[in-house]
Amino acid sequence: MTTPRQHLADIFVELAGGNPDLPLDPPVLLAALAAHSRDLVGARACGVLVALPGTGGGEVYASEDAARDLILDAEQRSQGPGPYCRATGNPVPRTDLRRAVARQRWPHYVPRALALGYTEVAARPLRGREEPIGALVLFGGEEARLTDEALEFGQSLADIVAIALTRDLELSRSRTLAGQLEHALTSRLVIEQAKGVLAAQRSLSMDEAFGILRGHARARQRKLTGVAQEVVEGRLML
Amino acid sequence: MCRDDRFKPCRPEKPETASSGSIPGRTLLAMTTGDGSAEQAAAAWRRAARARERARSAEEAAERYEQRAVDSGNDVYAQLALMLRSTASCHRSSARLQEAFARSLAGWRRGHGTRPKFMTGVAEACGTSSVALTLVDAGHSQLAVAASSEPARAAQDLEFMLGEGPTRDATTGCRTVRASCDAIEQRWPCYGPALTALGVHEVAAVPLDTTGRCFGALAVFDPRPGLVGSRAFADVVGALTRTVLLDSDADPELYGGIDHREVVQQAAGVLSVHIGRCVDDALALIKARAFTLGVPLETFARGIVAGDLKLTPEGPS
Repeated sequence: MTTPRQHLADIFVELAGGNPDLPLDPPVLLAALAAHSRDLVGARACGVLVALPGTGGGEVYASEDAARDLILDAEQRSQGPGPYCRATGNPVPRTDLRRAVARQRWPHYVPRALALGYTEVAARPLRGREEPIGALVLFGGEEARLTDEALEFGQSLADIVAIALTRDLELSRSRTLAGQLEHALTSRLVIEQAKGVLAAQRSLSMDEAFGILRGHARARQRKLTGVAQEVVEGRLML
Repeated sequence: MCRDDRFKPCRPEKPETASSGSIPGRTLLAMTTGDGSAEQAAAAWRRAARARERARSAEEAAERYEQRAVDSGNDVYAQLALMLRSTASCHRSSARLQEAFARSLAGWRRGHGTRPKFMTGVAEACGTSSVALTLVDAGHSQLAVAASSEPARAAQDLEFMLGEGPTRDATTGCRTVRASCDAIEQRWPCYGPALTALGVHEVAAVPLDTTGRCFGALAVFDPRPGLVGSRAFADVVGALTRTVLLDSDADPELYGGIDHREVVQQAAGVLSVHIGRCVDDALALIKARAFTLGVPLETFARGIVAGDLKLTPEGPS
């Protein structure tokens, strides 16, 4: 690794999510992980397979299109080091794809990888807070062997990105929960106001007024908040 | 089942008037016996254990990165470790708050004193007796409040009535607000003198913030010297924001300790019909009249709901 120290530090900061005050752009970050991993560990190619919560299926970012297609295909067949590593969170050690045992384990995957010139493969997990969120897949070739040092370094890069992603996910979950909380509290106020309106209009107790609101909402299969809002705004007389 | 009534099961001291329900992703206490305090204590212990587990896992990760920072000399690892240490610290604070509540609930069940409030533990963690948590909407209006003491509660009502004060400044500016003695009266011409009349000499309010979205504030009255700006205080605020209020397993009702000012809202509804104006106008009238007359807001509202008190837009009749 001949990368100058400052350049390396800049890459680490980029992979850690850059400016903490700016929102994270996960696709950009993952593409950077794939590209930097290949350059920094001296691999033939690198790809990142992730399944972020709420995005449906797995997504792949790779240093070259062929690697991306290979990993995507593997994910769809649930075969190969990427899907295994992502699902279990366990690393896949450096595996020589020219050996029969690899072909037995991944019969569809191995011939395709060899045809692309990838003679060895390894995978390192992107660890989330509670479960794995993805895998960094590293491909070696004749001229670009995967060393122990390279794999260890790959894990470090994956860790940094995983922490940035996890933190971003937690923040967006907090924002969602804050929105739900505000909605629930606001609904509560509107319902109390509607009880007061109805109680005054029809000389009822608060409990009786609530019974009418609830009965109306149930009979029409509507949300209580919506009914209450209309009562408060004078658009609905009960 | 109605989603809007998810608060009910956590308010066992009041009679059930609404159906209980749930919101996706949130667990509610099942009311099985009497006052529900046994279930609340169990839930508090469970949340405490979970927070301790999360703290441990964050600390383990921090240690790994501290080692890596030493091995590699790379500063990014040190920064990651710091971030994880701060996360762990918030979880530990959260665990302590839950445990303090569970313990005082157990004491109360054995027959000591009044039913404990979650906010009492928050106040103790801040080294004072008076703190108030206020939740606000996007327009910074108060939606609900939880206070540890009567003066703290009265202070929040003052802000609610007058529309000015430290909580409002903290949530609108999303920054910490501090004032003491004369500065209180200078900064808030209506609220200030009323607050000092409650015997408060110093106030600080800290926003509860989820990156750009401020959803409330914690106000501390007469905090112990050095509290604001301390690590322990930041951890309490972090614990409230990150786990106590906003978490998939959270109880944002604080075990029945959140006050929605139901009677005041009901009174606004009643009064709006009597004066033929919108509910917002009625609410503004109630706030203004209660403050002018020096009557506690809730007492005043109760009079309107009971029909003992008739208001006109011009003045009390």
